[in-house]
Formats: sequence, C-alpha cells, structure tokens
Amino acid sequence: MLAAVGLLCVLAITFLVSEIVQEMRFLNSASSDNVHWVLSQAEVEFLEFHNAIDLARQSDDPQALEHVVVEFDVFYSRMMTLGTGSLYADLRAIGNFGYPVSVIREKLDAMIPLIDGSRADLRAGLGTLAAEADEIRPLLRRVATTGLQFFAERSDESRSSVAVTMLRLALITVALVLALVVLLSHTRRVSNQTERRGQELADAYARLNTILQTSLDAVVVSDLQGKILNFNAAAERIFQYSRDEVIGRNIAEVLIPDDYRAAHAAGMARMRDTGEHRVVGHGRIRLESKRRNGQIFPVELAIEKAQAGEEEVMVAFLRDISHRVASEKELVEARDKALAGEKAKAEFLAMMTHEIRTPLNGLLGNLALLDKTALSPAQGRYVRNMQISGGVLMHHVDTVLDVARFESGVSVAREEVVHLGELFQNIVDSQASAAEANGNQMLWGWVGEPAEWVRIDASRLRQVLLNLVGNATKFTRDGRILIEAERSAEATGEMLEIRVIDSGIGISEEDQERVFNDFQTVGDANFAGQAGTGLGLGIARRFVEAMGGEIGVESTPGEGSVFWLRVPLVLADGSGQPEQHSAPAPETPGRDILLVEDNEINLELAREMLTGLGHRVTEARDGEQAVAAASGHRFDLILMDIRMPRLDGLGATRAIRSGAGASRDVPIVALSANVLPEARDSFTEAGMSGFLPKPLTEDGLLQVIARFCSSAKPAPEPAPQPPEPEISPMDRLRRRYEDETRTLFDWLATGPADRAEIAHRAHQVAGSAAAFGQSELREALVAVEMAADRNAPELGATIAAARAAWENAPAPTLS
Amino acid sequence: MLFPRLATAALATALFALPAGAETLPMPTGPVILTISGEIENTNGDGTAAFDLDMLRALGESEIVTETIWTPATHTFTGVRLKTLLDHVGAEGDEITAMAINDYGVTIPVEDATETGPIVAYEMDGAQMSRRDKGPLWVIYPFSSSSDYRTEVIYSRSIWQLDRMTIEE
Repeated sequence: MLAAVGLLCVLAITFLVSEIVQEMRFLNSASSDNVHWVLSQAEVEFLEFHNAIDLARQSDDPQALEHVVVEFDVFYSRMMTLGTGSLYADLRAIGNFGYPVSVIREKLDAMIPLIDGSRADLRAGLGTLAAEADEIRPLLRRVATTGLQFFAERSDESRSSVAVTMLRLALITVALVLALVVLLSHTRRVSNQTERRGQELADAYARLNTILQTSLDAVVVSDLQGKILNFNAAAERIFQYSRDEVIGRNIAEVLIPDDYRAAHAAGMARMRDTGEHRVVGHGRIRLESKRRNGQIFPVELAIEKAQAGEEEVMVAFLRDISHRVASEKELVEARDKALAGEKAKAEFLAMMTHEIRTPLNGLLGNLALLDKTALSPAQGRYVRNMQISGGVLMHHVDTVLDVARFESGVSVAREEVVHLGELFQNIVDSQASAAEANGNQMLWGWVGEPAEWVRIDASRLRQVLLNLVGNATKFTRDGRILIEAERSAEATGEMLEIRVIDSGIGISEEDQERVFNDFQTVGDANFAGQAGTGLGLGIARRFVEAMGGEIGVESTPGEGSVFWLRVPLVLADGSGQPEQHSAPAPETPGRDILLVEDNEINLELAREMLTGLGHRVTEARDGEQAVAAASGHRFDLILMDIRMPRLDGLGATRAIRSGAGASRDVPIVALSANVLPEARDSFTEAGMSGFLPKPLTEDGLLQVIARFCSSAKPAPEPAPQPPEPEISPMDRLRRRYEDETRTLFDWLATGPADRAEIAHRAHQVAGSAAAFGQSELREALVAVEMAADRNAPELGATIAAARAAWENAPAPTLS
Repeated sequence: MLFPRLATAALATALFALPAGAETLPMPTGPVILTISGEIENTNGDGTAAFDLDMLRALGESEIVTETIWTPATHTFTGVRLKTLLDHVGAEGDEITAMAINDYGVTIPVEDATETGPIVAYEMDGAQMSRRDKGPLWVIYPFSSSSDYRTEVIYSRSIWQLDRMTIEE
C-alpha cells in the first residue's frame, strides 16, 4: 500500500517534471517571430512600395525612382522570408497561403529586370509596375488573412495545450499533495506507534524489574561463562551478598559449594562445548548452594537459557528450601515412627494370636481328650462346662483380634467365588443345633430369582451372617429364625439383600440406633445368657461397609427383629470351583499322615486325635526331620506346623515341593495359630495346599483329611489300634513334661555354650509350661530364650531365675 | 544538429582596443552602409561614425553557422562582432537602438554584445547580402548554439537591412 503510494508519487513527479520541461522548452524556444507583425508589415511594405511607385509617376525626381527600388527590395526581402523561411513552412502548405505567396514572388521576380535596369526604363515601366502591384494587392491580402487566421488557430491550440498542461499540473499537484498527506499521516502513525512501543517496552522493562526485585525466589542471571550479570533482592537476602559485590564475579566462586565446583565447571564446559544441558531447561531441580557465611543449604532451582540481544544468558531461579527440607525430614521421621508403631501393633497382634491361642489350643484339646476318658458324671459335666467356657474365651479373643486387625488396616478384603446357596446352607447346618437347643426352627430361602455363584468376600459375609444368626438364636425361644436372600436391581448395579428374621424378643427403638456401635450390649440378660464383648455387630457393620454395602435393623419389641444387609452382587462363573462340603465330613480312616510339630504337647494332642480317628501317624519335630521323612516315604497328607526351630514349616514345604522326594506332591496343610490373612498368603506361596487353624479340633482334622484325602487310595493296612495306655494319656504327658523340664535344667547346669540350642530348648519347654499351668516358669524360660537369642550377658541370670521359677512352680497340671 | 562554429579569424579588435579621440575614425570611401550615433567616443564627422563595407571588413571577420527561422536551411554568416564594433566606436551606453532601411527599430542591450554574442553580418554563405536579400547588414545571434538565443526577444533583435545604430545611456 505504502510502496504503491510512493511509487505513484514518483511516477507522478517524473511525469510532471517531464511535462514541465517539455512545456518550458516549448515556451523557451519561440518559434514565431511576432508573425502577426511580420504579416501586417508585409502589407505595410507593399503599400510603401506601391506608394513609392505612385509618387515616382507623379514627379520627375530621380530620388523618387531610387525610393521605388529601395521599397521594392524591402518588400522583396519580406516576401522572400515568407516564401522560404522555415517558420512559415507549415503555413505555405496551406494553398491559400503558399499559392499567393509563390504568385507574388513570381510577379516580383518578373519585376527585377525593370528594377535593376536603367532608370529610364524603370520610369517608362512605372505604369506596368503599378498595374502589377495592383494585382499583387488582393493576393497579399489573402496571404495576410490566411496567415493571421492560421496563427490565431495555432495560438489557440498552444494556449489550450498550455491550459491542459496546467490543469494536469494542478491535478498532479493535488494528487502529490494528497500522497504527501497520506505519507505524512502514515509517518506520524508509524512514529506514534514507535513511540508507543518504546513506552511499552520501557513499562515492560520497569515491570519486569519490579517483578525481579519483588520475587520471593532468588533470580541470578549470568553469561555462559558463569559471570553474574544480575542479582535480585531475594538473591541478596538468601545468599547474604549485596548486588554490587557479586556483579561480574563468577557463580562458581560465589554460590557453588566447594564440593560441587568441579562438577559445576564440568557441566558448564560441557554445555559450552556440546550444548548438552543436564540442568538447564530441566525444570525444578534440588541442589545445594552456599551462603556468604559458608553455610551450605538446600535449594530448589530452575535454570533456563535465554537470548539477550546478541548474547546468550542463563537465568537461574533459586528458592531456599531449608525450612521445607527440615519439615519434610520431620514428617518423614513422624511417618517412620508411625509406621514403626503400626508394625509394632501388627507384631503384637501376631504375638497375641500365637501366644494366647496356642495355650488355648492346648487347653481345649486336652479337654476334648479328657472328655473321652472314663469320667464320673460330675467330672463330665465339669469338663463340658470348661469346654464351653474355653470356646467362649476363644471367641472373645478372636473378636477382639478382628476389630484390632480391621482398625489397623491389616485386614484386607479377600474376594472369592462362592456358591451362595451352599454358604447359607452351611450356616444353617452349623447353627441349627444351637437353634434347636433353644427350641428354634432355622430355615433359609430365596425371595425371587436366586443367585448361585458370586464373587464376594465370603469369609466376612459368613462371619457377619454367623453373628446375626447367633444373635437371633440367642434372643429367640421356641420360635423361628429365617434367612432370606433377595436380588434387587438398583441404580448403582445389582445388589444382594440378606435378611435375618427372628421371632424373638425384639429391640427397642432407642437400642436399634446403637446396636451397631462397639461395646454395646442390649437386651435381656436372661436371654443373653452369656454377655458378649459387644463387638459382634460393630464388626459386622465394619465388614459390610468394607464390602461396599450397608446394614440395618428393624424391630418391634416382643415380636421379633429383622437384621438386613445389602451388598453389591457380582455374579461369577462357578464352573471349576471345588464343591464345598456342606455335609459333615465323612470319616476316611486309614490314612498315612506325617505330623510335623515342635511342641511336644501339641504333637501329642494331634497324634492322639489322629490315631483316635484311625490314621497312621509319623512324627517329625522340625522342618529338617519333616523333609527327611517326606523324601523317603509317600504320605497321604502332611500336617505342618509353621513356627519351628532350624527349618520352619514354610522352608520345609518349599524343600519338599522342590525336591524329588516320594511325598513332593502330596497335600501339605499348615497348622498355625496365626490366622492373619497375610500368613495364609505366605503359606500358599510356599506351596501349601491348605490351612488348619490351631487349636486343632477333631472336626477340623476330619474336614481337612476328607478334603485332601478323599480321592487318595486308602492305605493298605488298617490302622493298628493304639495300645491301650497303662496310664491315662494326661498322666503320661505330665510325666513327660516333668522329664523334659528336668532334663533342660540338668543340661543348663552343665553350662552349655551353644546359645542357639539353649534358646531352642528353652522355647520348647516354655511352650509346654503354659499348658501345664506353670506360667511363671514359662515367662522365665521365654526370658532365657530371648537372652540367648540376643547373646545378652544376663543369660546366666535369666537361667538362674528360670531355675528358681521351676523349683517354686506349682505341680504341673493339665486340668 | 549544428553548433555555431565561431570564426577564429578575428581578433583584430586588439588593434582598436585603445579608445581614440573625436574624429579619429577614417572617412568611408565607398557607399555608407552603417551609421552609428549617440554616446560614442570615436567618430568621423558630426558626432557619428559612418562605415562602408571595407571599414567593417577591416574590423575583423567573425563567422556564425546557424539556422534561422527566416531562411530555409543552415547558413554561414560572416560579419563583424557587435562587441568589436562597439569597442571600435568607443560606445559608452547601455542600449543600442538599431534601425533598418524601412525604419524598423529595435533596442538591443549592450550586455548582448559579448565575445560569443551577435555579429553584424554582411555575408551569407560567402556572398555579400543584397538589400533584396536582407542585406546589406543583418544582426545575427548564434541561434543554434543555445536555446537562450531562440526567444521572441532575440528574434526581434535580429534586425535585417540594418543601416543605423544609436548608442544610448
């Protein structure tokens, strides 16, 4: 646009100049010599000539004749000019001019002999001359008028040409002025723009400077050699240098800790030489920097390269993160402490599981055995009462552990594919007898379309339902307990609702609100019979909520209660799932079983139960013995304790599975008081086939044997009946315990050096001591075991204390 | 295009460079063809200077080759340089009033009379100009040499059939 205007201007100016030059040239070079005057002068000179002739004819004065000659010459000269002058060439082309001119010239030429002749002839010829001249007059008149007319026209043309040129000049001048105005306004705009940009730049610079100075982050600008070019207020504050002190100095000597200088120099050199950046443009990086007082402190920094004019500069943004790092450290420490606390808690739980459940196992097992011996009716009643109390105690321990485990987050959901019908049937089967004891009838059924295989946290669901059914049984007399299941489609997906309906005493409205809280017991103590921990429904609530469901109760006192729960229903393909055994396990006697257990009491209990069920038992007291036994003989089943000296149950299982022994693929079932799910995972990982929780029950053993040995071929020989003991098994166990204990202390008295052996044997006896009611001795032996394990100097003292405890211990008893 | 070629012949003006007293000019012997009057120092009778052709020729010849608007082609004019003539008569005026035989008069400024300026021609193409042929004297400017000489004013000053000049203050 602008270029076009400029070009137009240039063209216009060029055109104008050439036009003017042409015009000037025209005006400068006058081509007319006052033609009008010349033409009229020709007439005047003709008249002079004619007049001279007339005068000469009237006088005899020879001067008059001379005058005729002069006037002839003057007129002749004029006509010559008109006839030959280049100025009149155009004019002569016109017939009305050229023809009369040539005629006049011929006539003049014809006069020449007379004019140049003698004066006498001239005088004589004056009359002829006058006649000729008369003929010339009209011709000359024609010449003059034609010439004047021609030059008038030419003059008009010339004037109009000048006028046109002038008009053009005016137009072009206007155009030029307009163009100049446009150019001027454009120039002004450009200049305004430039000025504005300049102002904006200045403003931006001022703003940038303010930002730099008020930035909380230190901003350090340097060239590629590391020379500091700028250092803002925050940098002054953080590094404790003033700006003027560091400008021009090298970053390395000012800000980089001594230890990092070599790496810094290498990095800078690498960047200069190869353009490779490890820090520049890599976002926020954490490094260390140095203050003026030499203090090294952590910084977070980001460096970017920028082009500042010709020069490349590096801009570093640094933030002092000392405080943040300190708080992070504190947080990490706090977290570590919390984790350590959690770990301690988890370990405590595991301890509880083991340390409480193991003696309970012994207690209940021995009660079961005792029940089979010949007892007086009163003794039998006592034993059964003890069994009931022991069962309740075990239940309470389990409940507390459930809550603690759930709260600590140790317990995680374990979904599996189960058949809901079987699950319900099992619950009814296992609880039916208890219900019948209170005169209750127990049933279950579907409302609407049944669901079969589902993916669900079955163990929790089972626990919740057992709790609800147990409560219903507890608070209902001579009534009916109904488990209803129903599928319902909801916006979030299909749900499973299970209702446990009883016709019991019901729950008052105010109690309904708090039954799901922890440690809440409601209801009639007469009905409750045994006061619970008040944790059952609390656990149920937690479990249901953990499964993504909800639980509630509706009840009318005196008529009954409905406990309902709703959980998401995920249908599954049940094909390939092992059939669950709902029926009581069939007895499959005559199996060949390897029993691995380091605790003599527990070993004895288990062996008694197994042989009582008609199986053959081979014993192993630790993992190594187990591996040896398993390699030489193929058993039908291996029952493996987990916590054992030398080689534990997991190690032994791995050895058996990975070895080439005869029993490398027989079922191995873990025996453990540790019922934590992680523990079970580790059993499975080690290659174990199943899990049997301690304390062992006859029913549990039956289930396991039925499950793992049903398809196996029965051993060829019937199990030999165990010989009738001369003394009761209890007495034999007690004596054996007494022997072991004495042997231990005799051995300890010899001052053995093998601490590991001391720990092992102390542990063994300690495990038995609890079962025989010598808890002080047990604790003293545990102290010995720990001291030996730690290789502590007070080992001797603990042994002495243990000996004292042994000597002062009450007589060992299993009752 | 032809440029006027100035005849280099005449530098005879040097001979007459010194102003002469009254009545210092020789008397004409042939027919007088030019009479100069007015503010002149050198005369040959009654305050005028009368020249015949030989006297003019004696002042030195100059040539101008040029076209004119009054003639059909390029011609070589021979005559005396106006400046030489004025110097010769010791003219001390600013203006020259030149008159022709038919009493046509024109004013020529003395400044026009330069070393390369007009001549008072008496020959055209080597032949003496007759009165019938715009002779005997014709003031010729070097028209072709410059557009400055091709103006109406200059054309008007190019008087032919010249026979009198008066030098005026």
